[in-house]
Amino acid sequence: MNSSNNFSVTVRVWRQAGPAEPGKMVSYKVRDVSPDMSFLEMLDILNDGLIKNNDAPVAFESDCREGICGSCGLVVNGDVHGPDEHSTVCQLHMRRFKDGDVITVEPWRVKAFPVLKDLVVDRSALDRIIAAGGFISVNTGAAPEANSIPIEKDKAEEAMDAAACIGCGACVAACPNGAGMLFTGAKISQLALLPQGRPERAARALNMVAAMDKQGFGNCTNEYECEAVCPKQVKVANIARMNREFLLANLFSKK
Amino acid sequence: MDIIFIKRLITTSIGRKAVMAVSGLLLGGFMLVHLAENLLLFKGEPAYNTWVDLLISNPVTPFMEAGLLALFIGHIITGVWVRIEDFLNAPRGYEARRWQGGRTAGSATMLYTAAAILAYLAYHLLTFRFVDHSMGFYQMVTAAFRSPVFVAVYISGSLALALHLSHGMQSAFQTLGVNHPKYTPLIKAGGLAVAVTMTGFALISLYYLAGIDLKAAEAGYQVVVIK
Repeated sequence: MNSSNNFSVTVRVWRQAGPAEPGKMVSYKVRDVSPDMSFLEMLDILNDGLIKNNDAPVAFESDCREGICGSCGLVVNGDVHGPDEHSTVCQLHMRRFKDGDVITVEPWRVKAFPVLKDLVVDRSALDRIIAAGGFISVNTGAAPEANSIPIEKDKAEEAMDAAACIGCGACVAACPNGAGMLFTGAKISQLALLPQGRPERAARALNMVAAMDKQGFGNCTNEYECEAVCPKQVKVANIARMNREFLLANLFSKK
Repeated sequence: MDIIFIKRLITTSIGRKAVMAVSGLLLGGFMLVHLAENLLLFKGEPAYNTWVDLLISNPVTPFMEAGLLALFIGHIITGVWVRIEDFLNAPRGYEARRWQGGRTAGSATMLYTAAAILAYLAYHLLTFRFVDHSMGFYQMVTAAFRSPVFVAVYISGSLALALHLSHGMQSAFQTLGVNHPKYTPLIKAGGLAVAVTMTGFALISLYYLAGIDLKAAEAGYQVVVIK
């Protein structure tokens, strides 16, 4: 698909063969880039060229490519998830760039998310936080009547806003301290706000915070860089709710 | 007795931050009271000395001082601990890195303003607390305020404190879980107001450095700012 609007960019990308290997930035020229391409499609074109040359393609993660799965996550020219506000990097399009641009692409450089290969990081630290209590326990059997527990509209909306977190890890990548508190706060909040989450809320807050502390994240210093980059606009009010849940559970629960 | 709830205040990220927040808020409250005391300078020598004499002769005062020391130590230990962990775990190695607007001048410099305040505090105690008080407290304070070097250090200390509190006050509420669309804007504005109020220390010292009280006395006025 050739078009007179197509242009060339230079991509400076982090190449690292494996978790224990040293990495470095490598520059590649990518030609015939359409402004209608997504950023990840531009990386696909780059990889096509690398494969044709018998070079190893640049490893990066993606799944849905429509901003809802949380797989992708890159630092583009110093911006977590790229220059568009509150968006995932798969939603970034090449029309944001112009001919001759040099684009720096880096992985999340977070201690708790070790680089596996090139731009792919291991975010299982987030899964371990969820496993510690980010769920509700229900008996098996027939599905209960959905409307048997009334939930006020505002609470349902607030819980949904917290549940919008896709676990991409941008909050940690953007945090000056590498804290995982916006993620954990959202996951604690989405359940604490709803009646179904109430029975286990004290143990959940204590266990999830303990799991978070074990993963090698920093501490929140309330600088709110996380909220500024979150593609789902999860609010730092969720961190305050986690603090509240944790401190109250610590003081008043029997755990 | 199960003391896990105390242990968690020290061993968990949120517990340590809560200790830092509570001690920080109480220290901020102390600074407001301290500023109010300093305003008594304007009431003149007898009033100021009477207040200080009353304060130090009160048998409760040594316990209050010990409590204040405990607040400082708790705030410093938890603060340094949090920052060491942050330093060890901070994302590192980004070639290009841009902040997205969450950081403020106050939040980005908390550690530096903290160090400046601590250094100033040591100087403050050495010049006012652990010295011979026989000349009288009013004389001691106003004499210091007429020294440009002392006032320069004093102003630096109060500006560092103002910058520290511009982030610290509202941050403490967030850490303690107090965040609500109805009153968080008020808390942020209140925190800034407390921070700006701390420049009052600097203004009082400048008043004496400029010799406004002496000029007024020469002119035959008695300056009474507070009645």
